[in-house]
Amino acid sequence: MTVILHTLNALPTSSAFDDCLRVAAAGDAILLLGDGVYAAIDDTRACSKLLASGADIHILSPDAQAAGVCHGIERFTLVDMEGFVELTERYPRQQAWY
Amino acid sequence: MTDLQRKRLLVVVRHSPYGSSLARASLDVALASAAFEQPVHLLFMGDGVLQLLAEQDSHAMGVKNIGRLLGSLPLYDIERVYVDAEAARRYAIDLGNSPVAASPLDAAQMRQLMVSTDHLLGF
Repeated sequence: MTVILHTLNALPTSSAFDDCLRVAAAGDAILLLGDGVYAAIDDTRACSKLLASGADIHILSPDAQAAGVCHGIERFTLVDMEGFVELTERYPRQQAWY
Repeated sequence: MTDLQRKRLLVVVRHSPYGSSLARASLDVALASAAFEQPVHLLFMGDGVLQLLAEQDSHAMGVKNIGRLLGSLPLYDIERVYVDAEAARRYAIDLGNSPVAASPLDAAQMRQLMVSTDHLLGF
């Protein structure tokens, strides 16, 4: 079942990050992009919160590479722009957090 | 217009009224959608609840009063307005005195609202 695709483009210290995680749940996908990719850094509180949400976590690879956070993020799925488009096709609705 | 053509839209407003142009943009979208007979709902979430403060006066700032615009929403077929109850408490917003009547929701209810709509637009 696919419910909501959340695109999260904000730092883990932002209210956008907190608000996203208040409503995200199993059946959703969260795509980290822009400043959102920093939440993928292993062993951080933000990363634990993401994992605890029950949503499938994806990361936009050009943004993750630019930020330097690709190391140690095997638990999440790296997607390219084509993968981003596929996610938007797979989920019936999308919510942008920024 | 048949029900099949109608898409339920939820506008999620998360930013303060005068810190950016997002508040105006979200209202423009909501009003335009209502004008095309699409069922529109508004949710004020997180910092967006600051738009519901009662005594806004943007006159000296030279921009439109967001509170007054919100007060006109019932005239334009905006079906329902909802507010993040926790955020309203955090900012001590008096919902009994807000420019537009808004139903308070907890996090689970906000999710339910999002899932029950066809399109989400985040501002």
